Amino acid sequence: MTESQLRVPLVDAPAPGETRMLELAGHEIGLYQVAGEFYAVANRCPHRGAPLCSSGRVVRGIGLQQEIPVRGETPRLLRCPWHKWDFEIDSGRCLVHPRLRIRRYRVQRERDELVITLKHPVRRPAQRPPAPTAQAVSSSGGSAVGPSG
Amino acid sequence: MSVENCTVSCMLIDCDIHVGYETLRDLVPYLDGATAEIVEQSGTNGLGMPSYPWYHPTGWLRGDAYDRDAAADGVLMVGQTLDRVQAKVLDPFDVTFGILTPDEAASFAILPNAQLGAALCRGYNDWLLAEWLEPEPRLRGLLVVTPQHPQAAAAEIRRLGAREEIVGVFLPGAARIPYGSPVHDPIWRACDELGLPVAIHTHFEGVGIAGHVTAAGMPDFYTEYHALTGVGMLGHLASILCHGVFERFPRTSVIMMEGGLVGFVGLLWRLDTAWRACRTEVPHCVSPPSSYVHEHVAWTTQPLEEPPDERLLAPAIEGLDPCRTLCFSSDYPHWDFDDPRQTLSRLPAAWTESVAYRNAARVFSLPVAVPA
Repeated sequence: MTESQLRVPLVDAPAPGETRMLELAGHEIGLYQVAGEFYAVANRCPHRGAPLCSSGRVVRGIGLQQEIPVRGETPRLLRCPWHKWDFEIDSGRCLVHPRLRIRRYRVQRERDELVITLKHPVRRPAQRPPAPTAQAVSSSGGSAVGPSG
Repeated sequence: MSVENCTVSCMLIDCDIHVGYETLRDLVPYLDGATAEIVEQSGTNGLGMPSYPWYHPTGWLRGDAYDRDAAADGVLMVGQTLDRVQAKVLDPFDVTFGILTPDEAASFAILPNAQLGAALCRGYNDWLLAEWLEPEPRLRGLLVVTPQHPQAAAAEIRRLGAREEIVGVFLPGAARIPYGSPVHDPIWRACDELGLPVAIHTHFEGVGIAGHVTAAGMPDFYTEYHALTGVGMLGHLASILCHGVFERFPRTSVIMMEGGLVGFVGLLWRLDTAWRACRTEVPHCVSPPSSYVHEHVAWTTQPLEEPPDERLLAPAIEGLDPCRTLCFSSDYPHWDFDDPRQTLSRLPAAWTESVAYRNAARVFSLPVAVPA
């Protein structure tokens, strides 16, 4: 396994309810803010493979409190664009299927940046890696592995 | 199941791609003058069609199938353009043929004003040919007609049904009278003459002049409605089989679209049981009702039922003779779209080619090279 990292200035981070689409080592990632914390998730619905982040919606959803439907206080759910299944952004948990979770990536704050880390298999030598970008830094052996186009 | 690990390794025919105008006014250039006047001058903002009493709580359309920023009040199929269908369905899935089904235009069949419905159908069918079928050779279309005006429907079938781009006739699951009734014989006769199948697709049950979704009364929720849409289609198939439609019109067939699959298995079993005891009532149904399925009935896959244990799916639908009758459909751009890679991977490998293209090629007489 190797690691790729992407640095996002905090000033470019999404506000609550917004989606910031990123690409890291050929993986499409959605970046979100919920209750002051940031979360990075894969742009793929684990149900049927829909583009969960790029075409989904961040919603507040509706829950029950003492049998009364109430709207969620903050936008903390990610709704799939195809079959409209809801996922908790902070836990990755699917609200309608107990075995499904969205893939999440580690997000750390370092001063005025967010650092998103992706672990992925080492590419075989025969495969030509995508061109590196200034934002991508590999932590395994020094050769940059950046997002593909 | 990882979709990236699945590919559609053979030809693909998608039997249910919905297209529609943005507003009814888009049809004006294709309408006769009197109908255009009605469309433009009715109400306060032009003619409106009856629609569902239930509103989809999370959106009718796939979120990536339209431009949210372009959405506006009164616009139905936002940005549902030919280039978008090409980019979202035809190209990525390498679709050999896509069968276009209507969206709001299905409501012409449940309008109380049958003459207006027939005029709108003529305009819509000409619009479909000019805007979609003639520019894109991979697309084929179904004629929208008026079952509440069978003579007009038959005339429309004869007007356009011989066109290469037209491969069948569309009827919604919603209806005032089940489709096997002899009042619909003009439609079956016209289809029989041209060798066209009738696609019965769940649409607008409980709306306009159509009967209730079920005999239980009106559902309260869209959730109920969506799970029950196949019920009306069960009624149509029972009617068609018991009236002996395929004895009288052997060159036609039906393909049941988006009504589910598992429910039809039980219906066929119960029909055969009832027929054995009651066949003196339905002497025109010469053979057990299920015996007509092999030659004259087909189903589309979407929405493929999702049992809690995937292993239950294939056995549950084997009673439909799926290697002969089951045809892939995506239902693009609706919210319950099925990806062909997913659908085919969830069915037995031995069914793949039949479901992906062979059955649809036979039902719609499409010019594909089907190995013997």
